[in-house]
Amino acid sequence: MTEKLKGYKKETKTLLNNKNIGIWDILKVKTDKAAYQGILLPRNEYSESGFIELKLKNNYNVGIKLEEIKDIEKIGKKEAKYKIPEKKFPKTKGFPEITLLGTGGTVASRLDYTTGAVIPAFTPGELFSAVPELAEVCNLETIMVFEILSENMKPQYWQELADEVAKQANSAKDGVMIAHGTDTMGFTSAALSFMLKDLNIPVVFVGSQRSSDRPSSDAPMNLINAATVATSNIAEVVIVMMGSSAHDYGLIHRGTLVRKMHTSYRNTFRTIDDIPLGMVKNRKIRMFKDNYNRRNDKKTIALTDFEEKVALIYSHVGLTNEEIDFYIDKGYKGIVFAGTGLGHVSTRIYDALERALEEEIIVLMTSQTLHGFVGMNVYSTGRELLNLGVIPGRNMIPEVAYVKLGWVLGQTSNFKEAKALLTTNIAGEFIDREIPIAYNYNIDQLLKNNKV
Amino acid sequence: MDEFDYKELGLKCGLEIHQQLNSETKLFCRCPNELQGTREPDFILRREMRPVLGEMGTYDKAMLTEYEKDLDIIYECYNDVICTYEIDETPPFMCNIEARKIAIKIGLLLNSNIIKEMHVCRKNYLDGSVPCGFQRTMILAKDGYVELENGKKIGIDILCLEEDAARRTETEKKEKTNFFRLDRLGIPLVEVTTKPDINDPDECRECAERLGLLLWSTNVKKVLGSIRQDINVSIKKGTRIEIKGVQKLDWIPLLINHEISRQYNLIQIKEQLTQKDLNKQESIGEIKDISNQLKETSCKFIAKGIKSGKKLYGLNIRGFNKIFGKELMENYRFGTEVSSKVKSISGLKGLIHSDENLKEYGFSEKDIGIIKNTLNVKKEDCFVLLLGKETEINKALHVIENRVKYAFEGVPPETRKALENGNTEFLRELHGGARLYPDTDSQPIINKDQEIQEITTHLPDYPWKIIKKYSTKFETEERVIKELIFSGYLELFETLLEYYPDNPTLIITSLLETATALRRDGKQIENITDEDYIEIFSLLKSKEIGKEAVEDLMVGKADNPELTIEAIKDNLNLESISKDELNDIINSIIDKNFNLLKEQKMRAMGPLMGDAMKQVRGKIDGAIVSKALKNALLEKIKELN
Ligand SMILES: [Zn+2]
Repeated sequence: MTEKLKGYKKETKTLLNNKNIGIWDILKVKTDKAAYQGILLPRNEYSESGFIELKLKNNYNVGIKLEEIKDIEKIGKKEAKYKIPEKKFPKTKGFPEITLLGTGGTVASRLDYTTGAVIPAFTPGELFSAVPELAEVCNLETIMVFEILSENMKPQYWQELADEVAKQANSAKDGVMIAHGTDTMGFTSAALSFMLKDLNIPVVFVGSQRSSDRPSSDAPMNLINAATVATSNIAEVVIVMMGSSAHDYGLIHRGTLVRKMHTSYRNTFRTIDDIPLGMVKNRKIRMFKDNYNRRNDKKTIALTDFEEKVALIYSHVGLTNEEIDFYIDKGYKGIVFAGTGLGHVSTRIYDALERALEEEIIVLMTSQTLHGFVGMNVYSTGRELLNLGVIPGRNMIPEVAYVKLGWVLGQTSNFKEAKALLTTNIAGEFIDREIPIAYNYNIDQLLKNNKV
Repeated sequence: MDEFDYKELGLKCGLEIHQQLNSETKLFCRCPNELQGTREPDFILRREMRPVLGEMGTYDKAMLTEYEKDLDIIYECYNDVICTYEIDETPPFMCNIEARKIAIKIGLLLNSNIIKEMHVCRKNYLDGSVPCGFQRTMILAKDGYVELENGKKIGIDILCLEEDAARRTETEKKEKTNFFRLDRLGIPLVEVTTKPDINDPDECRECAERLGLLLWSTNVKKVLGSIRQDINVSIKKGTRIEIKGVQKLDWIPLLINHEISRQYNLIQIKEQLTQKDLNKQESIGEIKDISNQLKETSCKFIAKGIKSGKKLYGLNIRGFNKIFGKELMENYRFGTEVSSKVKSISGLKGLIHSDENLKEYGFSEKDIGIIKNTLNVKKEDCFVLLLGKETEINKALHVIENRVKYAFEGVPPETRKALENGNTEFLRELHGGARLYPDTDSQPIINKDQEIQEITTHLPDYPWKIIKKYSTKFETEERVIKELIFSGYLELFETLLEYYPDNPTLIITSLLETATALRRDGKQIENITDEDYIEIFSLLKSKEIGKEAVEDLMVGKADNPELTIEAIKDNLNLESISKDELNDIINSIIDKNFNLLKEQKMRAMGPLMGDAMKQVRGKIDGAIVSKALKNALLEKIKELN
């Protein structure tokens, strides 16, 4: 019954029930001044009650106020019809074999013209219908690993994903693409970077900032670019998304140096503290950096143990001992600070910090400026924090530091070992030197001057 | 040809009028509602559009056609007057309240029912004119009417509130690239669609004029191009044809009559073909590459074309003798209909058919004989020649075949473009119903009863009533008041009347004639703001300036937009002078010209008036000067005697 009148409440629901009307019924509605004919649509449950929502013959949707309705009559029903496209993804002999792992984000979709709803298209056949160019790049197989919203990502899913990637890497597959919502893509790319030891094939994260149901979507180009990188020689975890607002080229970002930097721009992902590994345009790759791992014959191992009791605290004016004490009391094993400036927190929370370190909780310092190294020897606060036992996170982005600490504490519970692992470069998360153009790099400009 | 019996023909017309609103900012972002004219863009953005899969896992045909044109899209952007919304990098903001209220007012003036809960919908556009690929639009009112002078009510189907698309520019004549300037994108627009209740071309013109007047009596953008009208025309056995780009009201009757003629003659062709018992499927006969056979033709441009590597194709259209030559409307034959469609879709220019005077092209009897023989053309057949690149010709042949076969059906449903001579040309196939779907980025928008009530109580009179009232009241022609409305000055006129009720004609003259004359002289009269006019007429009211000064002040402001009216007045030395001061000036002029006066007596009035006006122009009414000068002269002459 609820489904029959999805989203309708109170008097509206009563009226429709009394008339035995359900959604998708074709109605004739009369008000004082106007007459309407259209299909009753399901209603968003957060919309105001007291309206019925119709899709008119001219395809416009309108809401009619309940109290103005003089007469309402059911004259038919329109069932929504969906069809799976019959197309098959063509297999070409000799083409790289790529697996696309699904996590719930849609990189391709179909549009329900009645409700505006997006019907995910994920099978190879559906993907081929939506982006036929993919078949010119690779042979494709798809596996839906789980279906969640990107914001609901959690470490357990990273583990499932890492296991699946390792399985693919150790099979005859030539590359893996992971379709992922962009909100937490940077967290997952970091997690997989740490978890996958001796990775032997490319692992490419891909998503979209404009959903694939709109003609201006970035999804098709991102998919083609990602597939191209998945067939390349780069045996690393990378994110491949558009590099500019124009539909021009994609950038290849190392999974541990990348961050979503804008709520809505297509080129929201940026490599932090360095320039991207390379770019991909018209199915061709051009590398900017040479320090990446190549395809190899090693066996890829998924080291997926992860300590979930790690906190990420944004240092701010007004931060109190109490807030830190909360995590200590709850048995947290590690704390990452997004410190101010060079890596500072207020001297007023030293008490809580001392307590945390006494209880062998690892405290890792990063900077909320995102760019640059922490420099804890410059000011007295920094030196005092070092003396207390806070570990400087070098150039690590706070989120990457959070993932790394969780992963490190999953690998060892030994305080000393953990500290040693933390300061080791595991997956390219540390840079040796920050080149001047890394901050505020502009690829368009660099390309124009032929500097990359 | 213009004497149709419209009733007998079953003429049905409808109007679709687009009008930009004059809200401060755009519909879904807070960028200024201002076109940038010819100002150079600050940067460009290249984008790609792809058709989206429908629920059945297939593409919309019209969208696919557009995609297959393989056009590059370049957006021309500004750093200051557009934001990330226009370039499709940020979701829409709240729907502009000011624009919504203007639209409600229009809806109420159209006697229609305001939709209480509006749902923003997306209308797909793949030509690139909207960067996100769809226009956001919503129905705001439904089922109204506009009344004509004779009392007939023309139904209003719907009133939509929507965003304007980007404007196409042609900064670079590059093939396969569409350039769009983003300043126009997102400007609020209303679309008024009438029901097909109009049955006479003059009625259609009147309806369009009334809708225009009605729109321009509200706060809409009143500049050239801010209103755009399309007409739908159909007759019995014909088809609904959409005519776009009707720029002047006077074009309407002519366009409709020409379209009736076109449809009528296409229906005749259909009947003729049916009578001849021709087979539609077999109407296309031999299609051959005849470049070799016609290498030596006496038709110079064909011979030259073949020599340069182009191909000459001929095709036989069976039973079509005299049909390509049949006139559908003035200077427009069935052959024109086919060739303009061929040009629009395939890009191939020029098509020759056997109903034309082939000798004029320079073909010899021998050439014609070869063509007829090769294509097996019989007496009742028609042949068509195409010269071009092979790929173009292939596309063109396809278009010809489809169009010829449609001759058996009557009038193909099309969107056509209005031409100045009253004819129309093919623009694109008529889409079978716009693909609209809910905008998942927006919440429903409520038009509150209280808001509607508030607007209802302040509804203005209908402009046609105002025209009647004012023309009687101010003793002017109705035409003049109409002109006030269509130049966007009605409201200003009413305001100025409050400041300066003494001489309404002077206000009208200044706003219409003076402004037009100044504009013709190249003066930037858009520099004169409403506040400037108010100041000018306030000065006039307080007698600080004479009425001659109005034009001077307008010129001053047009030339120096940075100056205030007060400053311009000072510069012009327009401080008004007293009668005493005037008399002093007159006396000194008379003294200086005493000899002249002695010789010429009252005939010196003319030159002396000129001297006086040079000194007092704009500071005091010329009539007063003239009177004072005359009196002074009479007195002086009396003294002399
Ligand atoms: Zn904007």
